[in-house]
Amino acid sequence: MKRTDLGGVLLFVLGAAAILLLPRFVSDFRAQQFAYVGIYFIALLGLNVLTGYTGQISLGHGAFMAIGGYTTAILVSDQGLKLGSHTFSADVKDIWTIPLAGLVAGIAGFLFGFPALRLAGLYLALATFAIAVAMPGVLKYDRFAQFTGGGGGINLFESAARTRPAETTDPITFETISKPIKVLGLEIASFNEWLYYLSWVVALFMLAVAWVLLRGKNGRSFRAVRDSELAAASSGVNLATYKTLAFGISAFYAGVAGSLLAIATTFVNPDTYPITLSIFLLVGVVVGGLGSLWPLVFGAIFIQFLPLWAQEVSKAQGAPAVVYGVILILVMILLPGGAAGLIRRLKTLYKSRLPSRPLSRTSD
Amino acid sequence: MRRPRLVLCLLALAGAIATGATAATSADPGITGKTILIGGTTPLSGTASAYASVARGANAYFKFVNSRGGVNGRTITYKTVDDAYDPAKTVQATRQLVEQDKVFAIFNSLGTEQNVATREYLNSARVPQLFVASGATTFGRDFKQYPWTIGFQPGYRAEGWIYGKYLARTKAGAKIGVLFQNDDYGKDLLAGLKQGIAGSKVKIAAAQSFEATDPDVQSQISKLKASGANVLALFATPRHAIQGYVFANRLGWRPLIINNAVSSASNIMALASEGGTNKAVENSISIVFLKDPTDAKWRNDAAVKLYRSIMSRFAKGANQKDVYHVYGMAVAYEFVRVLKAAGKNPTRVSVMAQTRKLNDPSNPFLLPGLTVKTSATERFPIEQALLQRWSKGSWKSFGGLWGYRAG
Repeated sequence: MKRTDLGGVLLFVLGAAAILLLPRFVSDFRAQQFAYVGIYFIALLGLNVLTGYTGQISLGHGAFMAIGGYTTAILVSDQGLKLGSHTFSADVKDIWTIPLAGLVAGIAGFLFGFPALRLAGLYLALATFAIAVAMPGVLKYDRFAQFTGGGGGINLFESAARTRPAETTDPITFETISKPIKVLGLEIASFNEWLYYLSWVVALFMLAVAWVLLRGKNGRSFRAVRDSELAAASSGVNLATYKTLAFGISAFYAGVAGSLLAIATTFVNPDTYPITLSIFLLVGVVVGGLGSLWPLVFGAIFIQFLPLWAQEVSKAQGAPAVVYGVILILVMILLPGGAAGLIRRLKTLYKSRLPSRPLSRTSD
Repeated sequence: MRRPRLVLCLLALAGAIATGATAATSADPGITGKTILIGGTTPLSGTASAYASVARGANAYFKFVNSRGGVNGRTITYKTVDDAYDPAKTVQATRQLVEQDKVFAIFNSLGTEQNVATREYLNSARVPQLFVASGATTFGRDFKQYPWTIGFQPGYRAEGWIYGKYLARTKAGAKIGVLFQNDDYGKDLLAGLKQGIAGSKVKIAAAQSFEATDPDVQSQISKLKASGANVLALFATPRHAIQGYVFANRLGWRPLIINNAVSSASNIMALASEGGTNKAVENSISIVFLKDPTDAKWRNDAAVKLYRSIMSRFAKGANQKDVYHVYGMAVAYEFVRVLKAAGKNPTRVSVMAQTRKLNDPSNPFLLPGLTVKTSATERFPIEQALLQRWSKGSWKSFGGLWGYRAG
């Protein structure tokens, strides 16, 4: 056990170093795309706590992301709240809304966990799908429009100085004006780079939290609920506590991801958290590997980049969706255990070639 | 067996990381002595993928222009990116076009919310947001705040106003039941309709909204029927407009149906007529500002002939009856005209300046007599349209041009 932990920490440090160095090697725009990978990664971590570890299917996580995103948008733009001047400088006020967004979404998820206790399997999937379907309607509802901006949404652009492009062309002299950005005393080359570091620092933190949360007794309890509710209950695991807790934690993660998505997109409206987002998240968890943690990065890469690749194959009307579907089916046939399954298989292959080493290191 | 899969995975990863770079030599990005690169977002997948033909038609026209030497020696490359009609994806895709592909301008991106989502960014980066494919009033009205943005098609408010005026003049005592999409687009049409019937005997009996994501509009249609309306206004995109026709017919309701321009393409009307069995489509009213390739009136029109030849050369296999292709060509034609007018060395600034003084009575893909016009104080390029009536499988325009003054 100790050795695995040490290996895990070492892997985490190496991975973190690689992630933080990546912007040095890719273009500014790629950094932005990878920032989105980080954001999806957070949402997938959360969904996996619920689906992969506790066995509760959710088709409604896009709605919890919407709650987080709107919390951030409303706070940052002061939409309908009239908070007046913040004690925080205007330049970082979006950062402090991230934990708040997680909290609001987490509470919503925890509360949703109670009615969800009565439901299992398909019925739970349908109930969660219902929140994803209802969310756009709620956000557009006229009574809330003063907060949510109705169908038009809320624009966050330029609510923080950073969102201005790093380079603009002066309309008269045509000279390029570059604007370095300072955040918390650090100079950052561009908004995209800022997004990248923000989302990945949060993502790594959330990964570490998930790892701590899911090891030991808690992790065993979650998994026990997944494997057999009857057996878990008879071993003294309180089903209601762990199920609602899983919903709460999972929604907290979704809220944080939704908040970052709002900051990155600089715009929220009911359509920026569509029903398809909830489904893509489930796809990402399955592709990354149910019940895994860091391999979910591959799930996040999958949902961020596959739609873009699919377009490269064909631009015919409707074709990207078909390409996407075919690739998804292929991945599921070839890698039924997702990326985590592949890694596990490679490990066993490696170990079977080196029979002298002990086989005890087969943790997730 | 395992190895090739891994190799595939790695290849796919490499594909993601590989970066493209475009060099720009001129003062503004995206333009060289020989080329000009513009880009836009379009839904190739998702609920609105029927509109993919807009970008396809525009692209075919640019290829045609390039085959004849381009504009002032420059060939036009029009890069479209799929946003699945999701504004969050539109933002990402638009940033990709501006920051990675370094386009000269964003052109003909489709959708109201999609363009609202990118407008602040594009105006701040001073990238032209040209001929937005949405009739939302905000794109023409708010030009002082967003000087780098301009629309193209008739505004939804103007369209609603035309229907209202028409009813006020010809159907005194009409009671209208309105089905509208619950967003800026639907609300703009409704507001225009109210403006058009103001002061007349025509009343709105009931207005029912629906969400773009709703599966169907059956309950809304039965409520509208129950309101006693004798006119049904469908302010809905194709899927829901078709449902409006189908459910009205099933309820045995025969009002005069007004169908908004975004759903009145002939192929959509043909779907709504359910193979000729649904008589509710007969005598529908809509506006038209394009030369509909299915209208017998234009069979020998030079522009429609040109349209067909361009489509068969540069968009093989596409449905030539789809009027959205004509829309794409009309907007591409106007862009080419603006680019020519901007001189030998167009800049983002000089192109924008041209869009503020459009005065083009000769866009061949638009109806004759219709002028594309803007001024320093007026930024709605098209504000005129004809009314048309659906009869025996095709649209027939009638009456004179209707013109709307914003205000």
